[in-house]
Amino acid sequence: MKRFLSLVVVTLMILSMFAGCSTNENVTNEEAKTIGLAISTLNNPFFVDLEAGAKAKAQELGVTLVTLDSQDDSATEMSNVEDLINQGVDIIMINPTDSDAVKSAVEAANKANIPVITLDRGANGGEVVSHIASDNVAGGKLAGEYVIELLGGKGKVVELEGIPGASAARDRGQGFNEAISGTDIEVVAKQTANFDRAEGLTVMENILQAQPEIDAVFAHNDEMALGAIEAIKASKRDILVVGFDATDDAKAAVESGEMAATVEQLPKEIGSMGVEAAVKILNGEKVESMMPVDLQLVKK
Amino acid sequence: MKDIAVSMKHITKNFSGINVLKDVSFNIYKGRVMALVGENGAGKSTLMKILTGVYLKTDGEIYLDGSEVSFNDTHSSQEAGIAIIHQELNLVKDLSIGENIFLGREPVSGRGRIMWKRLYENSEYWLKKLGLNENPRELVRNLSVGKQQLVEIAKALSIDAKVIIMDEPTGALTPAETQKLFNVINDLKREGKSIVYISHRLQEIFEICDDVTVLRDGELIGEKSVSETDEDKVIEMMVGRKLSEQYPRIETAIGQDVFRVESLSNEFVKDISFSLRQSETLGVAGLMGSSRTELMRTLYGIYPYKGDIFLNGTKIKILSPMDALNFGIAYVSEDRKTNGIITDMSVRDNITMSSLKKFTSALGLINKNKEQASANNYIETMSIKTAGTYQLLKYLSGGNQQKVSIAKNLNTSPKILILDEPTRGVDVGARKDIYDLINKFKKEGMCIIVVSSDIPEVLGICDRIMVMHEGKISGFLQQKDATQEAIMTLAVGKDVYNDDH
Amino acid sequence: MTTIKKLLKNKPLIVLLAASVVVAIINPRFLTWGNILTVLRQTSINAVIATGMTFAILIGGIDLSVGSVLGFCGAIAAAMISSGINVFVVVITALMLGTFIGFLNGTLITAGRLQPFIATLGTVTLLRGLILVFTKGRPISTGSTGASEAFGKIGTGFIGPIPIPVYIMIVVFILAYYILNHTRIGRYIYATGSNEEATIYSGIKTSRVKLFVYSVSGMTAALAGILITARLGSAQPTAGAGYELDAIAAVVLGGTSMAGGVGTIAGTAIGALIIGILNNALNLMKVPSYYQDVAKGIVILAAVLLDRKQKLSR
Repeated sequence: MKRFLSLVVVTLMILSMFAGCSTNENVTNEEAKTIGLAISTLNNPFFVDLEAGAKAKAQELGVTLVTLDSQDDSATEMSNVEDLINQGVDIIMINPTDSDAVKSAVEAANKANIPVITLDRGANGGEVVSHIASDNVAGGKLAGEYVIELLGGKGKVVELEGIPGASAARDRGQGFNEAISGTDIEVVAKQTANFDRAEGLTVMENILQAQPEIDAVFAHNDEMALGAIEAIKASKRDILVVGFDATDDAKAAVESGEMAATVEQLPKEIGSMGVEAAVKILNGEKVESMMPVDLQLVKK
Repeated sequence: MKDIAVSMKHITKNFSGINVLKDVSFNIYKGRVMALVGENGAGKSTLMKILTGVYLKTDGEIYLDGSEVSFNDTHSSQEAGIAIIHQELNLVKDLSIGENIFLGREPVSGRGRIMWKRLYENSEYWLKKLGLNENPRELVRNLSVGKQQLVEIAKALSIDAKVIIMDEPTGALTPAETQKLFNVINDLKREGKSIVYISHRLQEIFEICDDVTVLRDGELIGEKSVSETDEDKVIEMMVGRKLSEQYPRIETAIGQDVFRVESLSNEFVKDISFSLRQSETLGVAGLMGSSRTELMRTLYGIYPYKGDIFLNGTKIKILSPMDALNFGIAYVSEDRKTNGIITDMSVRDNITMSSLKKFTSALGLINKNKEQASANNYIETMSIKTAGTYQLLKYLSGGNQQKVSIAKNLNTSPKILILDEPTRGVDVGARKDIYDLINKFKKEGMCIIVVSSDIPEVLGICDRIMVMHEGKISGFLQQKDATQEAIMTLAVGKDVYNDDH
Repeated sequence: MTTIKKLLKNKPLIVLLAASVVVAIINPRFLTWGNILTVLRQTSINAVIATGMTFAILIGGIDLSVGSVLGFCGAIAAAMISSGINVFVVVITALMLGTFIGFLNGTLITAGRLQPFIATLGTVTLLRGLILVFTKGRPISTGSTGASEAFGKIGTGFIGPIPIPVYIMIVVFILAYYILNHTRIGRYIYATGSNEEATIYSGIKTSRVKLFVYSVSGMTAALAGILITARLGSAQPTAGAGYELDAIAAVVLGGTSMAGGVGTIAGTAIGALIIGILNNALNLMKVPSYYQDVAKGIVILAAVLLDRKQKLSR
């Protein structure tokens, strides 16, 4: 019996402790509208920024924001959206882990008559009121066009790919390859370095061994680009590197001339615009069904 | 006058309801060697494990140099100056001799670096003392078992303990090595150290020990000065009963040859040939290392073999225990807990484990009523003491566990029943039950093989005795011709010990 | 009274009840019919995997490959459905494929004498690679054929008020219960896990028991793969990554010993529910996501520790 009590007490303590961790949103006035955000991951600075942008905007507009982390797993995302529905949020913003797999989640929200906004990645099904994103394909194109410009439309390039199967890797690659197709620029090597700086270094080292002639590298993110730069520096060869994401490290590298350019997305802007649109929808106003967020090339 | 170094008073140890030690008192004297003797399962090892902190005592007190102590682990007993040389080797085979001797106590400099030179010099000192001419940098793996035993002894000596416990230290030693060990023991005595000497070899005890304490079935039988007693008296104290009362052997008409083994060999045994007749009980005797158990396990399909086995005149091939059971050969293991029974399962589940097919319908579902009935039947006929069929086996005493192990095998309706050490760790009452069962099986026409280290037991219950020595059969004896001496002579391989007797 | 006492002895059940009470007090929405069904449906996938994992852990082994088997079989099922193959054929094929992969795991462990941890760890990487090769790194949508609609029902449909995956979970539990408690192979699973050597000495081929167990584990993983793919209408190349850990947590929370031989399917059911409720409750209580994993970890450790203390003090 003693053990039973201690068990109950411990469980109570743990659960209430974590309930205490929740922000004091639940004590704000009853009329405040609640926006649910199912975000693909909070393990990546980009999405952390996206959430931060949304949070700041929510505070500014006086609405409650509940964020759930899908941990890059479609089934978790599904569960999170269901939980948001059960919680009775007024509108749901989904930053999908995958455009196909999010369909059921969107449909579930539709069924419960809760409007859905998608952020950064779209949904291939269900009814979405508005989609807010910076287009990764467009970003890849931007990078490709800049490489064409720098090389004068002719040369040999290496493409460092992200995690196989990740949509960012697919879209950025697609945009880049669309841009360079039809020019005299040839992709001489294409390998994955899993969005990882250390892998970017080793993969690039191997490619440098294999390819006597390389004019430029396009990496699907800055981490890999920075790894590649280290490899190139060690080989003492002169190769242009273009990255993606515009992280602080990458911007510094562009500033110092080590990196040719990086494509900058504005994640905070995506989050902020999402909340803005959500509030408009809740107030019965019309919003655009597609809201592109600016992309820009950071170069010296 | 004898000065007491360690005094254990009224020690009781209880394992899940069973007292393995009952109110045992034990003294160790300064500058003397105390022999601790008793049959297997008498409680010697348990007593020493309590002294060294491996087990916690259930009741009683331990005094070291007059003050009460209590050890919760081996480390604290070592700190207090008590070292033990284990029967099983506890060396790390892939470390050097020196590293093993000083394992956990490496001499370190102020900056935490191991002082290898000092470590190996000290190791060399102890090796020399034991007359072991090995480089302390040699890996233990490359040493013979006897030399490993000496390293184990060196390790205990190097702790500079006040009390040294030696559990069967000469088991793997050559006579010359044993003599060196005795010299060391005499040196230690002169230095005022106390020694506990556990051995089955009574001659050694009368050669090197000063006092002897005898345990039987977890109880203290007595403590004597070696000078006041002799081997026969010690044996009497150890066994504590007259053989005739203990072994109720019956005569049955022995029938035809049922089972025959011809020139069977494998990695353990060489050129084994024997036969078994209906209603016959064959005893198998031999010392440690005679590979009796390995032979039985070969017959049960555990180990591969070359040679022929015939059952009722037909040649059979036994490749697995499943085959053996299908041919009607059942084996009650000597190592109950490891492979005889499943202690975490119930009495019922254990009793039907080998014969579950009998209780299963065509659909693969177990008929639990039938199973229950079978278990109850065995509990009743074998007088197994248990709270019920659902009781987990770990809560039963050794004797009752052994009965369950036998019941499991009987449930397969065997023609040949191999009992390997059927009474090891079994209390006196249950022993009698097991002997009665053997007689009952005999009457039913079963062939029985009894492997036992307990020579009086073999003499008392078997019709014929097969003696083994180092993997070979060294002879057969009929019950009426067999004596303890005759068996021992065959067991030691004749020539070696002839001058001793 | 005795039944109450018996129930009080069941630690996992108590944790489950205590957690439910606390959550219901903090957020009354927890006990709405809709949310209960949601929890059950969310739990079904982990529960199905955990059932196979229970078998593996009961024999003293482990199957780390369940997540990858789920991903692989899900991808194959999605590809077949999208090309319009009959749902029944697809389901049977995927289940057989999972069973076969499990059988291979078992073969590596028995004939290859590999440690279950190592063998299935190898399979994890191998299958992940095969998934990427097969899917070319892209999700496979089940498309919009007639087959895909019927297939989707497996994950999203209802019979009466209850979602189909919940029925499937219950059927899996009942079958597993029957196998473990009323069949010979079930008895042998416990025996092998308790003391493999003694089981061999009892004339039982434990290698066959192991092959059976890993085949079952593969099959339940494949079933979970079907459920997840049907639910989402698409098979992700990364689907199932890390699911083995949730399944192991459910089994252990249910009181099954990692050393094998001790455990029940009812325990696993409760363990899976505890994890499902925890995930749902932490969301309902609006616990920030970084803290959620911390909370889950603490609850799992606390439950297992209490259970362990209880066992030691016996």
